Amino acid sequence: MSSDLVRNFCIIAHIDHGKSTLADRLIQRCGGVADREFRDQILDSMDIERERGITIKSNSVTLLYSAKDGKQYQLNLIDTPGHVDFSHEVRRSLMSCDGALILVDASQGVEAQTLANLYVAMEYNLTLLPVINKIDLPAADIDRIREEIDSDLGLDPFEAVPVSAKLGMGIDELLEAIVHKLPPPTGDPDAPLKALIFDAQYDSYRGVVTLVRVRDGRIAAGPRIRLMHTDKEYVVEEVGLLQLKRVKTRELVAGAVGYVIANIKAIRDIAMGDTITDADRPAAEPLPGYKEAKPVVFSSIYPISTDEYEDLAKALEKLALNDPAITYEKDSSSALGFGFRCGFLGLLHLDVVQERLEREYGLALLLSAPSVRYRITLENGETKEVDNPALYPDPSRIARTEEPFIKASIMMPERYLGPIMELCRERRGENLTFHYLAQGRVELTAELPLAEVLFDFYDRLKTLTQGYGSFDYELLDYRETKIVKVDILVNGEKVDALSQLVHEDKARVRALHYCEKLAETIPRQQFRIAIQGTIGAKVIARTTINAFRKDVTAKCYGGDITRKRKLLEKQKEGKKRMKMVGAVEIPQAAFIAVLKSDES
Amino acid sequence: MSPEAGLYVHVPFCSTLCPYCDFAVNLATAARRSRYVDLLLTEISLRGKPEDPFDTLYFGGGTPSLLPLSDLRRVIGTLSDIGWLQPGCRLFLEANPEDVSEASLAGLRQAGVSTLSLGVQSLDPESLLLLGRSHTTEVAEEAIVLSRRAGFETVSVDLIYGLPGQTEERLRRDLEAACALSPDHFSCYQLTVHEKTLFGRRKNEGRLEEATEAAQSVLFRLTHQVLESAGYEAYEVSNFARSPEHRSRHNQKYWAHAPYLGLGPGAHSFDGRTRSWNERSFFDWERRLRGSELAVAGREELGVEELLLETLMLRLRTREGLDLSDVEERFGVDLLRLNRALIDKGLEDELLVLEGSWIRPTLDGLAVADGLAVSFRLAPAPWKAARV
Repeated sequence: MSSDLVRNFCIIAHIDHGKSTLADRLIQRCGGVADREFRDQILDSMDIERERGITIKSNSVTLLYSAKDGKQYQLNLIDTPGHVDFSHEVRRSLMSCDGALILVDASQGVEAQTLANLYVAMEYNLTLLPVINKIDLPAADIDRIREEIDSDLGLDPFEAVPVSAKLGMGIDELLEAIVHKLPPPTGDPDAPLKALIFDAQYDSYRGVVTLVRVRDGRIAAGPRIRLMHTDKEYVVEEVGLLQLKRVKTRELVAGAVGYVIANIKAIRDIAMGDTITDADRPAAEPLPGYKEAKPVVFSSIYPISTDEYEDLAKALEKLALNDPAITYEKDSSSALGFGFRCGFLGLLHLDVVQERLEREYGLALLLSAPSVRYRITLENGETKEVDNPALYPDPSRIARTEEPFIKASIMMPERYLGPIMELCRERRGENLTFHYLAQGRVELTAELPLAEVLFDFYDRLKTLTQGYGSFDYELLDYRETKIVKVDILVNGEKVDALSQLVHEDKARVRALHYCEKLAETIPRQQFRIAIQGTIGAKVIARTTINAFRKDVTAKCYGGDITRKRKLLEKQKEGKKRMKMVGAVEIPQAAFIAVLKSDES
Repeated sequence: MSPEAGLYVHVPFCSTLCPYCDFAVNLATAARRSRYVDLLLTEISLRGKPEDPFDTLYFGGGTPSLLPLSDLRRVIGTLSDIGWLQPGCRLFLEANPEDVSEASLAGLRQAGVSTLSLGVQSLDPESLLLLGRSHTTEVAEEAIVLSRRAGFETVSVDLIYGLPGQTEERLRRDLEAACALSPDHFSCYQLTVHEKTLFGRRKNEGRLEEATEAAQSVLFRLTHQVLESAGYEAYEVSNFARSPEHRSRHNQKYWAHAPYLGLGPGAHSFDGRTRSWNERSFFDWERRLRGSELAVAGREELGVEELLLETLMLRLRTREGLDLSDVEERFGVDLLRLNRALIDKGLEDELLVLEGSWIRPTLDGLAVADGLAVSFRLAPAPWKAARV
């Protein structure tokens, strides 16, 4: 097929703006899928993706569209993950496209994330086509949205195609616009092979299936290829198109988007953004776009039941086959037993991994308070990166500590600006600036410590803006900070799983919050239980659980001791799920309540 | 620990059913009552002679005082004749105040009853009404006085406290009134609302409010304080004796894990390792015995952990407490080593005292004996053992 008849494009949208629904509709309109099969085949295939309405792993599909000009076009719809945590994946997806649909909700308007992705799309010189979705909603205001497209996005509002993905309205017009407004790919089919790996799937029979965009040259089964960054060589076994299922083809030529199978064992073996070239006729230099995905949020994961440690180890190993962004290493806690210290791209990534472990592998888990990675310079000049409170050095040896900062971009209706600026200042925000986007809408940018965003920032933002605020961020740099290690003591015994690194101004509030949560959730026992939050030897917060005063049953005679013992056995059974800290039994529920609750 | 076994005979009849009681009782017809002793003697003969004769014989119920004196004599006489009773065997009998008279008490004395337990429950008219008892304050007081005069070795009074709405003041008056009649022994049970009783039903329907844990705690301590200051020593959670010889030799066997044999519907037996229980309903008990088989409805063999938990649960109910070296000898488990933090905390909070190898609960410890028993680790936690 001539590359004039190919269009490579993606859909850029904010969460909830209907990206997946629109993709589904395009797939359906181009045929090939019966409605009945449809549910199992749409792009967001993981349960979690479907339930949360976000795309985590991008998927791509090739559609064959017979346009009104009588020609059949090959439309490669490249899916992009819809969340800031996955922005590196977004970049790679965008790099494999020539055009992008900018999806805007007809009632919500332009959001921060849309804008952020738009800027990235512009970096890669993509041709942009605005699409106004959800025009069927009563609250739809197409004129206002056109205005926002003009003022916020700087795009031609009259090019915008109004659609309702849900009802299938405007889909034909959109397909025509894709064909006529988005450019065909460029590239030299005779130049040395250059193909960008923008995604990969793991197939238990075939190994790694890489998804590529061929920029120059051609790729077919047989020859040896080289991955330019990892410098590994493989023999191509199969190439083809992704038309919901893999369809084998003879070759992929410059401009094409498709898959390559080359006997690669694990996703870890390849690097996203790497360039495939011909081993015998290599390209001079790789395509730009290779950037290592580095974890920025860390947490220790423990199985609730200590005998599930092995299962957790296996589950993480499997999960990592598909999700190379997750890092993990062994960790252990005297309160919670063995677990893993894991690194994530962000809080949502952490959430998703936890949910997949729980749902797909049936594990019950406990996660320690998420932490960022601090950069610590010791008095002796040595520097180390610390994300695990257990490895925090003796404070007297520390010369300076730095923490990661982000640049946050928050878009919201003007009336919420005050409270949100207040929130940012509360979270140690610096260099707050804002500008008006359109009538009544502002974008606030602030430099915030990443650590401050880990705790309930999204929730507070949503609450304060009644759901109208949107948030996006990018990592900025490391800045000097004052960090302390807060320990939680139960009757004088340290509960190591609850230790955390906190900015010194926040230590007292955080410690008190932990103490109070524990006091609410640890059942009363025969003893008074003192719960303390400490920094070193200094107590900064405390609560007490008063002792049980009476629990003994009155009668125990007449020989029916079995019945009474059974009652006690039941209680004892309940205690098995508890962790002993000194003489105090702490139920799992207490750890869960403390570690899950993010309110301060 | 007393190695000697006790014999319990359950007399399952009552003239009325008390709304709080969940024992195996029924309002039997005269015909059924008349068959009871024959059936009991059948059970005795089916059981066969025990290895060692018993040194206590306890008639509990139900209402043993409903048993005609002649029937009682027949049972005691048979047991004695066939050599089941040691010389000096103590005889215990529970009686309802309305059943006793000078004459009947003399009869019981003559039959050999040494300890009489009177089911007084309260001397407060309002409480008696709530508890659905068929005696009045005066009848109860009279029964205590007459029993004292009849020359039993021990006269014990059963009381129930912690009734819905009971104030400290009312309980104190009740206890003081009972103390004024100077019985030798008290069993003071805090009301437990069992599900399958009338009280249980009222509670489910929201018509009866059980005392809160805080209120129970206050009344528990008040009971102990009033009785102790009147000269009664609490030797168990609910039992008080004027002097050590008035302690219940029979009931102490339960708390010492001594063997016992139970006869009659619903009675439990224990041989040190196996516990078994009779058919609870009179109908099934009778049917099985008529078929010339024991009326055992179920049995369980106790493992080490079960025996250990029972030992803790039972011994921590007594002021004497638990002998750790005895536990180590019997079960090969060093409770002190496994529970150092718990025991230290118990000592620190004055729930326990450690005397030699004995852990003894204080009054505060008795009050939380169940929780303490459950808190003890009986074997090392598996995950801890797995840790490096």
